[in-house]
Amino acid sequence: MEMLHYDFMQRAFFAGGLIALVASVLGVYLMLRRQALMADMLSHVSLAGVAGGAYLQLNPSLTGFVIAIAGAIAVEYVRRSYKTYSEISTAIIMIGGLSSAVVLMSLNQGMNKSFSSYLFGSVVAVNQTELSLMIAVALIGAIFFIVFRRPLYQITFDEETAATNGIPVKWISLIFSIITGMIVAAAMPIVGVLLVSSLIVLPAALAIRVSPSFTSALFIAMGIGLIGVFSGLTASYELSTPPGGTIAIVLLVLLVAGIAAKKLMLHAGKLRSKHSNRKADTVSTAFPRFTKNSSIHTTGGKENESMV
Amino acid sequence: MLLASMDKVVFGYSDVPCLESANMDIYSGEFVAVTGPNGASKTTLLKLSLGLIKPWRGDVYLAKRNQSGKKLVIGYVPQQIAAFNSGFPSTILEFVLSGTYVRGSWLRKLSHRDHAFTEQALRQVGMWQHRNRKIGELSGGQKQRICIARALAQQPDLLIMDEPTTGMDQESRFGFYELMHHHVKEHGRTVVMVTHSLTEVHSYLDRIIELEKKEEGGWKCCTTTSCSGHFSPAG
Repeated sequence: MEMLHYDFMQRAFFAGGLIALVASVLGVYLMLRRQALMADMLSHVSLAGVAGGAYLQLNPSLTGFVIAIAGAIAVEYVRRSYKTYSEISTAIIMIGGLSSAVVLMSLNQGMNKSFSSYLFGSVVAVNQTELSLMIAVALIGAIFFIVFRRPLYQITFDEETAATNGIPVKWISLIFSIITGMIVAAAMPIVGVLLVSSLIVLPAALAIRVSPSFTSALFIAMGIGLIGVFSGLTASYELSTPPGGTIAIVLLVLLVAGIAAKKLMLHAGKLRSKHSNRKADTVSTAFPRFTKNSSIHTTGGKENESMV
Repeated sequence: MLLASMDKVVFGYSDVPCLESANMDIYSGEFVAVTGPNGASKTTLLKLSLGLIKPWRGDVYLAKRNQSGKKLVIGYVPQQIAAFNSGFPSTILEFVLSGTYVRGSWLRKLSHRDHAFTEQALRQVGMWQHRNRKIGELSGGQKQRICIARALAQQPDLLIMDEPTTGMDQESRFGFYELMHHHVKEHGRTVVMVTHSLTEVHSYLDRIIELEKKEEGGWKCCTTTSCSGHFSPAG
């Protein structure tokens, strides 16, 4: 724990932990909305902001943050134009962001070295301004995911049904996109532009596979995100490797191990039921016929309250 | 009471209208079927009536309040939506309970009533025993049933369903028709559903709205048949 004596490591752990929590929850919603690549796209757009900020001699982190939010708003509008193929909107905005970043970077020949910390992340890159930004983003993200958890669940399953329930789908989707942009930009200093999506997508990908319910998927994703960031930062310090790549590899290993464990458990379950000659679920699945004398006996809802 | 209506509505997805001079009235306490051949814009008609898409021309009316003056609650079951979301990591119970979110604020604590409505809806579609299973483990017909259960858990005034019996076997389809008939006659709900199985459902219905092809192209809808809704449950 010698590394925690350093201020920059304390900041990296604190900021990384906060961002891991909100990024993992964001990832679950993004994956289920079939927008898993949105984080990747926004990080590339954000890079254009970083390059633009450097060129205009402004704070690159702040300009990257602003441009990521602008990109998130743009993608929401383009998504509505290509409703059935929402990945097209991702591709369009990513091309725009990356091409602008390349052009702007070529105009900043003198600072190519510092760009590598934006591309691959750096534990020393988290200064006090960025730490404050991350705390603010984590707070806003947490409030959003708590207050809007019910409408978000409904929108994520089906936007049209949510709209018929009186949920302002367009507004909530727009705020969701802006929050996505903010979280991506805030996570950039630690994991870097190229791998920011790993922190968002990988915990969610595993959580969705192994969780028994939606609520548990959110908590499992947060747990995996925290383990990934803390182990990745530790390994990065010990091995002097870039934190972005190290965190992404740890998360990938967790994903592969989690999926393998799940398959093994399924296989073991099949073997057990074969040996014990157990039959599959034989509870009737017929739609009950309704007669005049039909009565539905319920427990008054008491039986299911503790389960959700 | 008039809940929804359309007057001379014109709509299309490209520059050619797919629905022309469409007229439709839905009154409270009716069990109505919308029918027509494939491509007749039945789904479009439902989406227009719900305000999900805006017509090019014509008037669409959807009541804001029910007969008691409270906010009109609409239950909507889109076409095969559950099959599309087959990997959704949610239990059946979580999913159907989400139907009750429509009442009250987003942050309110769910009440005994919400849980009771959820249980009742799940029992009515025969899925209560499976409440802790994940959506992805269900068959197409079972997924359709939990979507119906979610709409029922809302305690809707108006229930609009797009081919709700897709994937159900015949026994389940009749169970479904009887259940809808019960909700209309006993609870005063209004049920509108798109169906191709008119022969099966005919005796349960109050009215059939049929989409007909216009001679010059496009589709229009008109009320063609009044049914007695004379089905009487046995027992």
